[in-house]
Amino acid sequence: MRNIFIIARRDLRAQFNSPVAYVVIGGTMLLLGILFFLIPHMAVQGVAVGGFWEIDRATMDEMFTCLPPLMSLFVIPAVTMKSLAAEKGSGTLELLITMPVRDSEVILGKYVASCAVAFILLALTLLYPFAMFKWPWHLGALDWGPVWSGYLGCVFFTLAAVGVGMMLSSLTESDVIAFFMTSATLVGLYVIGLLAGSLHWGVLGDAMQFVSFSTRYQSFTRGLIDTRALVYFTSVTILCLLVSFRSLESRKWS
Amino acid sequence: MPNDVMISASDLTKAFGSFRALDKINFEVKRGEIVGFLGPNGAGKSTTMRILTCFISPTSGSARVNGHDVFDEPLQVRESLGYLPQRAPLYLEMSVLEYLRFAADLRHLDDDAFRKRAKSVVEVCGLAQVLGKEIRHLSHGYRQRVGLGQALIHDPPILILDEPTSDLDPNEKAEFLDYLKQIGRERTVLLSTHNLAEVEASCARAIIVSRGRIVADGPLDEIRAKSGRVRYVVSIQESVGTGAYRGRGAPPKKSEVEEALSKLDGVKKVGELPTDDRAHMVELISEQDVDLRPEVFKLVVDKGWVMLELHRDSQTLEGVFRNLTIGDERRNRTLTASGQAQGEDDEDDEDAAEDEDEEDEAPAGRPKSATGPVDAKVAKEEAS
Repeated sequence: MRNIFIIARRDLRAQFNSPVAYVVIGGTMLLLGILFFLIPHMAVQGVAVGGFWEIDRATMDEMFTCLPPLMSLFVIPAVTMKSLAAEKGSGTLELLITMPVRDSEVILGKYVASCAVAFILLALTLLYPFAMFKWPWHLGALDWGPVWSGYLGCVFFTLAAVGVGMMLSSLTESDVIAFFMTSATLVGLYVIGLLAGSLHWGVLGDAMQFVSFSTRYQSFTRGLIDTRALVYFTSVTILCLLVSFRSLESRKWS
Repeated sequence: MPNDVMISASDLTKAFGSFRALDKINFEVKRGEIVGFLGPNGAGKSTTMRILTCFISPTSGSARVNGHDVFDEPLQVRESLGYLPQRAPLYLEMSVLEYLRFAADLRHLDDDAFRKRAKSVVEVCGLAQVLGKEIRHLSHGYRQRVGLGQALIHDPPILILDEPTSDLDPNEKAEFLDYLKQIGRERTVLLSTHNLAEVEASCARAIIVSRGRIVADGPLDEIRAKSGRVRYVVSIQESVGTGAYRGRGAPPKKSEVEEALSKLDGVKKVGELPTDDRAHMVELISEQDVDLRPEVFKLVVDKGWVMLELHRDSQTLEGVFRNLTIGDERRNRTLTASGQAQGEDDEDDEDAAEDEDEEDEAPAGRPKSATGPVDAKVAKEEAS
């Protein structure tokens, strides 16, 4: 347990010692603001409506719609590419693993650190609803229920997505490859649900919706806490961590 | 006492696909020993060290470190050793102090113990000036020192160092070797290198590996003697010098000297060494158990020549090393030669010479006369 904490703390420091974490978090916040206020987006039903000002309702819906794709595209790939791929590439993993730590502690420590960066971003996005509806502005009476459930959805989405990123990071020695593989996989997992929702494809569509992160996540934005989704995200997390662990262990046998 | 064996490997084998990086290696290292682990690049040194540190697992065979099996008790094994991998891969964005702290945390040292150990590590590794610097700004020599520092931070009974001196300058190397002798008194050190002078300076025992097998293991003197041959260097005056004693008759020609010496009993080979025009310098190779010096002296007196020098030395470690591992290098070159056809005449010539020389297996072969003694000389100078 202690080793997990020590490794996570070191990794977290390393993330914030390099400009990557700042650029990614700052960039995402900026993009989120632009998307939220200015750009008309596709609502759930596929009908284009305006940005926040055109909708004319006190809702954070749009932020929760934009957050997971942005995290899939930049944040999580950037955070997880360092965790194992870069360490394997530079050889520092050898020194870390030959300390008296278990392989599982290395994986969990790095997982915790990567999740922490993503959670810091999530915590920062809380500034939006607070600034708009509590202080200094009061743009209307916001229903906080869907906001909290939306955050719960984001947290579980993050846990699973970071898991996927860790897994892919453990499979390669190049951080660039890890970044693009993670980005493509996460965006893919997100998009197939939206695709299947709008093109009625029968069984294939059902299967795509079943594995997609977006269908699982959407109920949270509407204020629904879907236990099936919680179980799904948790299962993906565990599976990915197990694969990462095995992949790290496989160095012994190759 | 079995407890005195700190590292033991039995039938250790590691295969990467069809390539056998290690082939049934057996050795033991006792408490307080500093052992040089020698071999050409790719001979299996790092693989062995990675198995001993539980980074990879052997394909078959077993190894024990400090009484713990590397397969069943990896954590206990790692706790009892300090390891410096090749080229000291450190976290570049950390400062030296942060890094030492991190290593100490993972080794569960508390604050007091860390302060005490850090003080001695900083002193020994010479890190006082760079403690606050980020590792990315340090030279390779300093990085290696930091790597050594983290290996020593928990005062381990066993040190495994993979080419620890490869990036150090000559001063640092000398200091490091001194230091190694100092810490080696109560610790067990396994140190890999391909610099033979280093082994001669710091280790009492060497293990030589080649192509995944141990080809020699024992005290340095024994290994030197392993070739079973002794080398004599004789130097005869060539032109009438200015000294009082000028010998009898005309100074001899080179061929005369070589011919006369090669007729002595027990001489296996006579070779010419480079000198100036005042003397002929000749090397003789003979069997271990005959002493040729009286014979050589008598011959020179009988002929009325002037002897300027006569000395005997056993083969240097470098020579033995070349004999034992030269097959590796030859294999490398054969591949290149077939790939690149002619082009590299020099190398091909050298190749051919080695082929003639080395047809019989290891100890019977000998270094090429053109370069062997020169190398040996260099090695001797470096060692002294």
